Amino acid sequence: MAARFYDGRSALSHEADVALEGTELRIRTADGDIVWHLEDLIPEIEADQVRVSSRRQRDARLVLPVAEWTPLIGDRLAGQAQVRRRREIRLVGALTAVAVAVVLFVFVGVPVLSGPVARATPVDMELRMGANFDAQVAAIFPTCRNDEAQRVLSALGDRIAAGADTPFDIRVRAVEAPMVNAFALPGGPVLITDDLITEAESPDELAAVISHEVAHVELRHVMQAVWRDLGIGMLLDLVVGGGTGAGQQAVILAGQASDLTYSRDAELEADARGQALLHAAGLSSRGMAPFFERMARAEGAGQLSETVEFMNSHPDSNRRGRAARAAARSGQAALSPDEWRVVKATCEAPSDGPVDRLRGRLRLGEDAALPDKRDQVRPDR
Amino acid sequence: MTDHVADDSLAPYAEPPLQGETLAFSTTIEPGRFLGLSVKNGLLNLITLTLYRFWGKTEVRQRVWRGVRLNDEAFEYTGRGMELFIGFLLALVVVGLPFLIVIFGIQFTQHWAFMLALFPLYIGLFWLWGFGIFSAFRYMASRTTWRGVRFQLKGSAATYGWNYLFALFLSSLTAGWYWPQAERQLASRVWDELRFGDRRLRFRMDRSQSHGIYGAFALGWFGTLFGYFALIFAFVGVAMAVGEPLQPSVDGEAPVPTVLFTVILYAMILAISPIALLIWAPYQAALLRSIAAGVTLDNAIFKLNVKAIPLWWLTVTNLFFLLITLGFLMPWVQARTARFLIRRLESTGHARLDLARQAERGPGSGEGLADAFGFSSI
Repeated sequence: MAARFYDGRSALSHEADVALEGTELRIRTADGDIVWHLEDLIPEIEADQVRVSSRRQRDARLVLPVAEWTPLIGDRLAGQAQVRRRREIRLVGALTAVAVAVVLFVFVGVPVLSGPVARATPVDMELRMGANFDAQVAAIFPTCRNDEAQRVLSALGDRIAAGADTPFDIRVRAVEAPMVNAFALPGGPVLITDDLITEAESPDELAAVISHEVAHVELRHVMQAVWRDLGIGMLLDLVVGGGTGAGQQAVILAGQASDLTYSRDAELEADARGQALLHAAGLSSRGMAPFFERMARAEGAGQLSETVEFMNSHPDSNRRGRAARAAARSGQAALSPDEWRVVKATCEAPSDGPVDRLRGRLRLGEDAALPDKRDQVRPDR
Repeated sequence: MTDHVADDSLAPYAEPPLQGETLAFSTTIEPGRFLGLSVKNGLLNLITLTLYRFWGKTEVRQRVWRGVRLNDEAFEYTGRGMELFIGFLLALVVVGLPFLIVIFGIQFTQHWAFMLALFPLYIGLFWLWGFGIFSAFRYMASRTTWRGVRFQLKGSAATYGWNYLFALFLSSLTAGWYWPQAERQLASRVWDELRFGDRRLRFRMDRSQSHGIYGAFALGWFGTLFGYFALIFAFVGVAMAVGEPLQPSVDGEAPVPTVLFTVILYAMILAISPIALLIWAPYQAALLRSIAAGVTLDNAIFKLNVKAIPLWWLTVTNLFFLLITLGFLMPWVQARTARFLIRRLESTGHARLDLARQAERGPGSGEGLADAFGFSSI
């Protein structure tokens, strides 16, 4: 049978004659005979040709027509395909096991570990990280310019935080951002968006939101969320590498879905602790439930837009509303009517923040439109 | 260039004449036969959190390589998935770890030393990108054989990294106008160091430069500039024309503006992509022709008959099918791209392939950096 043989030392083609002798393939060339055992053969078929190599002579190749190879070899190498399949199944099994372990670690291990790691994080470290975060956030969401209002807000924050057992200096301030939200940063900064201040119908509601965020700082939930997101992000990045393939992006996106949100338990814990802080300061905690419930109704009525971030990042609002109502107690009003008027006007001075600049440039959401947006989350109207 | 025609008999290979043999490329690739592999790789990638990608990529290469023939002898890819996986793990340690240390150092300590390390680190990433590209080519060459003889890529990946960095720097200074020449230079660094066994290929810049690319580049450059301004005017025009209705009404029933704008934006990107690709297709085709023209082996020279419109159509249809199948059809795309190129590859002159002697085995693992940066030629 005519074939071409390459000895693996050079690219010179050798005419060869191939014959099967028992369990051996004999390759006769002008330079002598080469014998390959059937069990060592690796055939590779493509179109009309088969290329054969031997595990014992890794670089040599034998090339011959499929039409001659198939009748010659018959089904003698059928077992090889089964071995390859078994090997592939084992590989996929092992990789799947690794993937399952990663998923379990991401969704169970990291959240469980993040709490103890957050509590063990040195205060200095959290402070420095918070300062870094704060600088980045300030570049996107500028601080509102009304100094008097900021002083009132800050004083309210100080009053609520006075009872908190935390090494951090809680600093509450209002920022301009196109969303109804409040968030605490590592190390003590608490940011309240202008849209949330507009949305709050009483000082008690605003105090409730602040107390909730102060509780997150005190309980070190913020650092916990940072560690959890870092852990998840790093782990998934590690698995998928820097690849830009659709599958790799999907895995990264799945990981980002949990970005900087607190767990349900952490939210309930912050609600309860927030109420306790309000009570300790002699303030009413009756603002918490109505605010959450209004947010929940807005969410349920399908009026949720990107402007109502609070409920997105603070889930399970109905249940929380019920719990807050059950534990609510009366107390002093958080702010006097005059102070409340000042706070309500916190962000009325125009800002030259990047969001506004972009809005202005694109003529989007001009001033007249902003109250309309806020109307969406006001179900009472 | 025509497809390989199936032939039942395999004629004994004739001894090449003294001056060597002419090089005739053909392909047996049928992209349709990659559909099953596409589904298999896609599903296995899903259930393994993409960890299967190293083995999937290897199988695609094995099948593409063996579907390409030179003088009726198929190429062979001998790489293994495990080698790519080990390369990936190595890259994690060599690149990922130092980067992570610096980023964490900045976030948590804000120490000046970490801040100072960030700048060279970012510059270093571009150097590493070039290093990674060259290393990936070196690995691929070492795992490509023909007639049982390996290819090998000599030269220094570190030097290529500097060349790459320099090319990026000069291109940014010249608003991109250095890039076409940079692409030729970078191609020459690879092709000039490539060997089939111990027989060295050569890249002849004069031959490459005889195929102009700057006219096509100018078309792409000015076309993009024009398109950019047109897009801004169109966007502002749309925003002004429909700005009011996009705002929600008081009862909150009107559509939310940013959602609509996002949809419009994505629709525009989808609509614009084929046009942007069309503007640049002449350059892409010219570059391929220019680089192929520069490659020589002994007295053999190469010609890649790639025209702009067929290349554009290939790219657009590739992207379209990748998009609607969420990347599943990548192996099919790679197969039809390889077939497209091989069918258009010709060679004249002679090369003494028979004199090539076996090359060393090459690196033990591969492409970790390339994987980390998301670079892959195939």
